[in-house]
Amino acid sequence: MRHLIPEFERMKERFPEGFDSSLVLPCLHRIQADRGYVAEEDIVGLCEYLSVPRIQVEEVLSYYTMLRREGIGKTHLQVCRNIACSMRGAEGVIEHACKRLGVKPGETTADGKFTLSTVECLGSCGTAPVLMVNDAYHENMTLEKLDALIADLSAGGGNS
Amino acid sequence: MPAADGMVVFTASDKVKARRKATMEFITLNHPVDCGICDKAGECTLQDYHFEYNGGASVSRDAKTHATKHFDLSDRIVLDNERCIQCTRCVRFTREISKSNGLGMLDRGDHSIVRPSADGSFAKDAYSDNVIDLCPVGALLAKDFLHKARVWYLKATPSVCPGCERGCGVNLWHRKDEWMLRSPRQAARNDGLDRVTPIENPAVNGPWVCNKARDLPKLLGRVRAAGALFKGAPAPLEAAVLEARALIAEAKRPVAVVSSWASNEELAAFKAALGGRLALVAKRDHEPQPGEVVQDDLLIRADKNPNAAGVRAVLGECGTEVPKDADLVLVWGEGFDFRAVPASAKIVFLNAFLAPENGHADVFLPVSIQTERSGHYTNFAGVTSRFERCFALPPGVLHAEDLFGSLVGNGRGA
Repeated sequence: MRHLIPEFERMKERFPEGFDSSLVLPCLHRIQADRGYVAEEDIVGLCEYLSVPRIQVEEVLSYYTMLRREGIGKTHLQVCRNIACSMRGAEGVIEHACKRLGVKPGETTADGKFTLSTVECLGSCGTAPVLMVNDAYHENMTLEKLDALIADLSAGGGNS
Repeated sequence: MPAADGMVVFTASDKVKARRKATMEFITLNHPVDCGICDKAGECTLQDYHFEYNGGASVSRDAKTHATKHFDLSDRIVLDNERCIQCTRCVRFTREISKSNGLGMLDRGDHSIVRPSADGSFAKDAYSDNVIDLCPVGALLAKDFLHKARVWYLKATPSVCPGCERGCGVNLWHRKDEWMLRSPRQAARNDGLDRVTPIENPAVNGPWVCNKARDLPKLLGRVRAAGALFKGAPAPLEAAVLEARALIAEAKRPVAVVSSWASNEELAAFKAALGGRLALVAKRDHEPQPGEVVQDDLLIRADKNPNAAGVRAVLGECGTEVPKDADLVLVWGEGFDFRAVPASAKIVFLNAFLAPENGHADVFLPVSIQTERSGHYTNFAGVTSRFERCFALPPGVLHAEDLFGSLVGNGRGA
């Protein structure tokens, strides 16, 4: 994380003095975007940089499920399993994704291309069921659309 | 709505009672209600409030969530996450009082659990055991006291921690007379301390004590010196007292090495009987042990003796080294290096615990410990605190306070 410190310094300017511990969350987001996950050395370095006790960083990491302690596959499929999506067929989408990719939710394919996760509400109930491919929403998901999406991504397609 | 002059607040209306009952239902939703095997039962605020405000069985039809039981929070404390009601008092203690930042609340919702920081700071927190008292339920329990006794079998005797010159107020918990253990295997525990808790005293320790106070049962529970000795050979107590008296009477340059674990009463008795006769040397009975916190900003003081200030107040400034020409040295208490005694000098030794040095003295006399007498200590700031007796004097042991009068006089005759 050391190479990110110039960026953190610029973030610091937006916070009142004495509120360095408020930077834990944005710094962790930036670290994860950089490395793909938050490593042990990032935690130690961030505690030292912000002068916050280690437990505060651990609390933030465990509270927010989108922060990861381990690396994932190249493409992250996150399927909503909250009530609106479930009622509109999310369970079938999850089951189909598992079958197509040969993994269970929370696992990564052997070739490291895909990680499948189930998540709580993505805030798009009007277009349920929803899944995210990395940072992009794919709405009104059907099994056919999912097949096409996985085929496209496997062939090296982008986040479209 | 903030409180204001003339406002009338109903705290026991039917509506308020119903809300309280509902709140108790919510707090106990996932609590295991295993009071029958919980050490906190009898002094648990959740139990008390449930009795006062709810009293009914759970109305929930859902299964209780499960969490870790018997989690090793440190080598001193065991955590039961199912009993925890997530009040976070323990977390706040490590942030605001002990400042170790050793505990935190991980995860969220009904998965929330108290956990120690991965950097191990909680295990190093010299005040960690205060979270056991702070815990309103039986989630945080002392390993040393685990399943040792129901709290209503015990009584608390007010005392003073002798662990350092702070002199924190403590309650020493030991078995009530009507709940003495009868089996021979367990009877030894009747004369021992079961646990130590702080007594709130704003002038000395506030509401806290350090872990050293919690370990007093071990410190004071060490094997005792059982009887008087002449050069290591068992001797009758009366004969030993007479012999000590004769040695003092015959000495030309007698020296007393005074204990800083002695009470003000003992020091006064010593001064009245022997103060004019012997040259005085003050002794630190206990020094900081390896790994022990020597001094900090909260309570812990560097002088690990409770009454160094009392020694100065009662006896004035004493010497620090035994004079080379001493021909008799009366050593009172632990922590003395006997190599400091001139080779030809006689030794009279007063000690409470079994130690190799006991057998080297010309006369050895076993004396009482703090829990067998009452008295006062004066702390570094000049505050004098009283400690009460917990146990009877064991047979064959003397109170130093009574002994000093018997050491005045001539010869070996009565």
